[in-house]
Amino acid sequence: MNSIVMKQDASTAIRELLAYLLSSSRVDAVLTMRQVPETGSCDLGLITDPSGMVEAEPFLPVMTANAGQALSSISMSGKRIAAVLKPCELRGFTERVKREQGSFDNLLTISSICGGVFPLEKVISGDLEKLVPRYIEKTARAEAPRGLRETCKACEEFVPMNADISVSVTEHGSLMHLHSDRAEEYTEGFEGERIEARADQSHIDRMMKSRSAAKGKLFQSLEKSSGLDGLVDLFGKCVGCHGCSRVCPICYCQHCDFESINFDYNQPYFQESLEARGALRLPPDTILFQLGRLTHMSFSCVGCGMCSDVCPVSIPVAGIFKKTGERTAGLFDYVPGRDSEEPIPVMVFKEEELGDIG
Amino acid sequence: MSETGTGKTEMTARVGVYLCECGPNIAGKIDLDKVMADILSESDRYRNVELVIRRYGFLCSGPGKQYLEDEIKENGLTHLVVAACSPRDHDSTFMGVCARTDLNPYLYRIVNIREQCSWVITDPEEATERAATYIRGSISRVLRQSSLFEKPLEINPDAVVIGGGAAGMEAALALSSDLRRVFLVEKSASLGGGCGITMPQEKAVIEDPNVDIYLETQMSSVIGFLGNFEIGLKSADGKDEEITAGAIILAIGSDYSDPQESGRISFSESDEVHILAEAERTLEAAGDLKLRDGTMPETIAVVHCVGREEQGYCSGVCCSSSLKLAAAIRRLSPETAVTSVYRDLCLPGADGENVLRMARESGVELIRTKGTSLSGMELDLEKMDGTSEKRSFDMIIPAAAIVPAADTVSLAEMLRIPLDEHGFFKEAHRMTDPAGTTTEGVFIAGTAHGPMSVMSSMRFARACAGQVLTRLVPGERIVPEVKVTEILEAYCTGCGNCLDVCVYGAIYADTDRGISVVNEAVCRGCGNCFASCPSGALRTRHFTNEQIFREVDEALR
Amino acid sequence: MAAVLPVGSDLSGAMNRFLKTILEKDIVDAVLMPMKVPSGDSFAWIIMSDSSIVDDAEAMAPVMPVQGARALRSLTRKGEGSIRVLALMRPCEIRAAIELSKLGQVKTENLILAAYDCPGAVPMDSFVSDPSSGEDLFRKMLAGEDVSAGEVKPSCTSCVEFSMTDADLHFGHFGLGGTEVLLIPGSPKGMEILEALELPADRETSIWDEAVRKRREKQVASRDAAFEETGENIRGVQGMLNVFADCISCRNCRAACPICYCRLCHFESETAKQDPNSRLDSAVTRGGISLPADRMLFHTGRMTHMSLSCVSCGQCSDACPADIPVAQVFSFVADRTQKAFEYSAGRNDGDPLPLRSFMKSELSGIHEMVSDAEPGGHAHE
Repeated sequence: MNSIVMKQDASTAIRELLAYLLSSSRVDAVLTMRQVPETGSCDLGLITDPSGMVEAEPFLPVMTANAGQALSSISMSGKRIAAVLKPCELRGFTERVKREQGSFDNLLTISSICGGVFPLEKVISGDLEKLVPRYIEKTARAEAPRGLRETCKACEEFVPMNADISVSVTEHGSLMHLHSDRAEEYTEGFEGERIEARADQSHIDRMMKSRSAAKGKLFQSLEKSSGLDGLVDLFGKCVGCHGCSRVCPICYCQHCDFESINFDYNQPYFQESLEARGALRLPPDTILFQLGRLTHMSFSCVGCGMCSDVCPVSIPVAGIFKKTGERTAGLFDYVPGRDSEEPIPVMVFKEEELGDIG
Repeated sequence: MSETGTGKTEMTARVGVYLCECGPNIAGKIDLDKVMADILSESDRYRNVELVIRRYGFLCSGPGKQYLEDEIKENGLTHLVVAACSPRDHDSTFMGVCARTDLNPYLYRIVNIREQCSWVITDPEEATERAATYIRGSISRVLRQSSLFEKPLEINPDAVVIGGGAAGMEAALALSSDLRRVFLVEKSASLGGGCGITMPQEKAVIEDPNVDIYLETQMSSVIGFLGNFEIGLKSADGKDEEITAGAIILAIGSDYSDPQESGRISFSESDEVHILAEAERTLEAAGDLKLRDGTMPETIAVVHCVGREEQGYCSGVCCSSSLKLAAAIRRLSPETAVTSVYRDLCLPGADGENVLRMARESGVELIRTKGTSLSGMELDLEKMDGTSEKRSFDMIIPAAAIVPAADTVSLAEMLRIPLDEHGFFKEAHRMTDPAGTTTEGVFIAGTAHGPMSVMSSMRFARACAGQVLTRLVPGERIVPEVKVTEILEAYCTGCGNCLDVCVYGAIYADTDRGISVVNEAVCRGCGNCFASCPSGALRTRHFTNEQIFREVDEALR
Repeated sequence: MAAVLPVGSDLSGAMNRFLKTILEKDIVDAVLMPMKVPSGDSFAWIIMSDSSIVDDAEAMAPVMPVQGARALRSLTRKGEGSIRVLALMRPCEIRAAIELSKLGQVKTENLILAAYDCPGAVPMDSFVSDPSSGEDLFRKMLAGEDVSAGEVKPSCTSCVEFSMTDADLHFGHFGLGGTEVLLIPGSPKGMEILEALELPADRETSIWDEAVRKRREKQVASRDAAFEETGENIRGVQGMLNVFADCISCRNCRAACPICYCRLCHFESETAKQDPNSRLDSAVTRGGISLPADRMLFHTGRMTHMSLSCVSCGQCSDACPADIPVAQVFSFVADRTQKAFEYSAGRNDGDPLPLRSFMKSELSGIHEMVSDAEPGGHAHE
């Protein structure tokens, strides 16, 4: 595969590539993480001015919002955008495209082999300054840094699946792999030695080993969520803020069904429930919401972990959804976000499925 | 159709932008060619939009309108922006032009580059730049406008007149003369109202085949709008009836203030104190004013301005009535001494001086005071020179102030009409629509509107009738407002903000579903509700957030 | 004057017994109170008609996971129904319920709102991570012992409406040494409960009054200090931007807010969304924008929509994953907006919501200009 050798560190090289894309008018805007140097606060920036690239931190191990969600609507503007996405963000975006919530048509996607991100609380507490250098060091050696999001530790999809450009940072140096014609076309004229190369498989294998082990542990710890009692135990303290669904890249509904008029009960419902059971939790439907959301989106869950990050009562939402998602998607041999052409399993029929109905 | 980046096909919009020179009014200040060039130079900002941009002398002229019509047709315009004068002047003109073509009039927008630009900005360069900004904003807006379709309704040309006094009867007769059916609803057992004299209209109304008279009946409910009201009537014996009409004329008249309200006047029931209107009626019916024991009074005092201070306004007609009554008593029984006690004389109009002369000539004694109080039959007169005098009279006639009729408040609530500061029905606009109200199709005649003479009452009655005759032409259809508000029921929480701020009563609460509902036929699209809704559950057609925000965005760019 | 409820060993237990009694005697059909969730690290609102379930519930919970007014809203939004429910809540929850009743979201006809002297609440995140310390802490708070300010919800340390509200019935225990609770009726409904229990309201309340007064003094001072700090922090546009710099637009604050009653927040609705093209245009104009966009628009917009009804319960801060002092900012602004309209959120004094009513004096200027200046029906002096 055609690859560009990066002389500097990956962040600087991508920053330069992005500035090049903007100043050569190949793209109209760039989406990347950025960090305000003075305050250290980070956000996702949609940058149009090449001089704004100084704040860009394309590989900052932070996810303030799933960029796949943020990119969704602007990708349909018809303007050309280069977006730096973590693999799970790219997968989240791909799932959205399948639901007509985004478009690849004018998009150049840049991703990298991902070492994971830190939970929001670590970002807020200002520990980032200390954590990031250590993180870079560790990930270069394919080791797992401490303090990552639970789902990142257990993420086996850390290699970008369908990016135009992917970056692999190994101890042997950083490479920019060009996976598509668009990647070739956009990077034309960008300085850097071109070589035939692939990402270092042994590096990936070593990462995979620790990830798989962590995943096993995570899923094991969630075994208690089996069965209704387990769910009640896990979700019993849910305060119903629905923050998990709002930050979810897959939950694309404008208005969540569980907040809609469909779940507004009138008095006879409460009276009958009280007569039947003697007691009732208010507001109702705490577990129903979680089960409903699992039904609606778990097979598309990309395990990004935003939901756990925003949960005010520290429910391990992301772990539960990831675990459930892998089982439901697994039934259909489906990998969410793998390929934008792959149909969503619950939206298609196979002929044999219709036999009974016919 | 063209292919866009998203892989979906989109219609190409052809936006026509026409700049009116308005003679030197616009072109004399604004460099229209530069405006056109500036906008064209940025036209690639609009995706899938082709701009046609032209200038013309007077677009509102006959040839101008024809030119615009031809341009719309020839260029196949899908949207139109006219940069000209205030929409108050010619918005409807250009909507009319659109209506003659296939272009929906709601896909057009007028930009005011005259009153709000060339006339008020002194620097031509600044005015030119500003004009371009306004136009850019409007292009952005017009692209987000949607076609709206008017749904004309069959109108009901009949009218309901509430109140069978002078104004009510006059309005009924005026409408009947044009063969309209009139429902004349009177609360009391007889027509005539409170004007103090028998009106010649009374007989005519009773005999008029087009006028249905409902005595001892009141309006109990009303729903609907101009051209289509459903009115519930309730009679004194408890019978309910529903009638339909296209307009409602409120001629419920007025009451008199209680003379004892101020505390400076006190008397008992046995005292010979009779308010002016009562005395007028007795004199007209009997030909004289006798005391309760049947004897003629030797002295009578007519006291002006009773209640004026308490009400805070001059009723305007009582000085004239008081003096006329005084003169009439003198004429009919010259032995009776009549004294008029006044503070200021309010005798407006050409006839005013005649009334005063007539009173003087008939021997009425006129006393000007700073203030007058009454205890029993004794008047305490505070003279202008500072002295005071107590005088007793055989009969006292206080001229009480004209105050709103008791039913005013309940009717105003029923019809969602505001009241003025004194509690009378408030007109839609003092200058431009004095007989109309904020509720279309509801008009006010006579003293329901405020103190006025019988003559003025008649004029208002005829004005109301005129409005009904011109607004509700039989066989014609009426176009309800299309720029109304709609409720997105799924988002409505039924908090009632919109209900409270709706001036037209167009929103009601659906308590079963816990939401608010708009009656589109009554909504006038004022946008109060839209502004009050925190949930984004309301959308006023033609004034959506998207349209307004994008216009502002573009203007501020 | 108040009735007296004797306390055995445990304050909360005495109140539980009271609630059980009124259920058993059919004085109410159900009670709404907190109950520990199965995992033991939080509480949930449970409405119960079966008196035996009261034993498992907790009259006063250390935490406020869901603002009680939200629970009442889910129960009564679509009508009051026919069952009489007594809801025992914190004063800020009662106040929010009263605000919501003005907004048609809570129907109070069949509700008996009961409150208690609130010592504050333990922040959710610290309780979830260590429930037993949280419970110990709350016991100390109830006993009036000093706890460090950082351990309590920040909005509770500056709360001045921690006691008597416009509840129908109030449980006063401050200053009484944990030996008894005063049952103070606040309305005929509250009085009826005491009468039904044949509890005479004959105790004068001066000791309790004094304890409440003293605590209020302390709280006012701490609130004033908090306001001063917040006022400094949010000064100017830059100040606001700094305070909200870490916001990730998760909107947990509005989801936790008892006053934000919209089904779909205006700022998440289609109407507020900018089309992608315009969004890119604004990025071009400014060289770059932050995504998700309109962060400040959301916060200032929400402030405009709800600050007149804000009861300073602090739920927004508690729910914020970025530790933004949302409650402090909103409380500071609410204090000022409510003063501007001489309005106090959560009072049952017949004051209508300021933005839904007109004062005649407000209309004098426009009287002549605007023909429809006086909207129907809601003018008051």
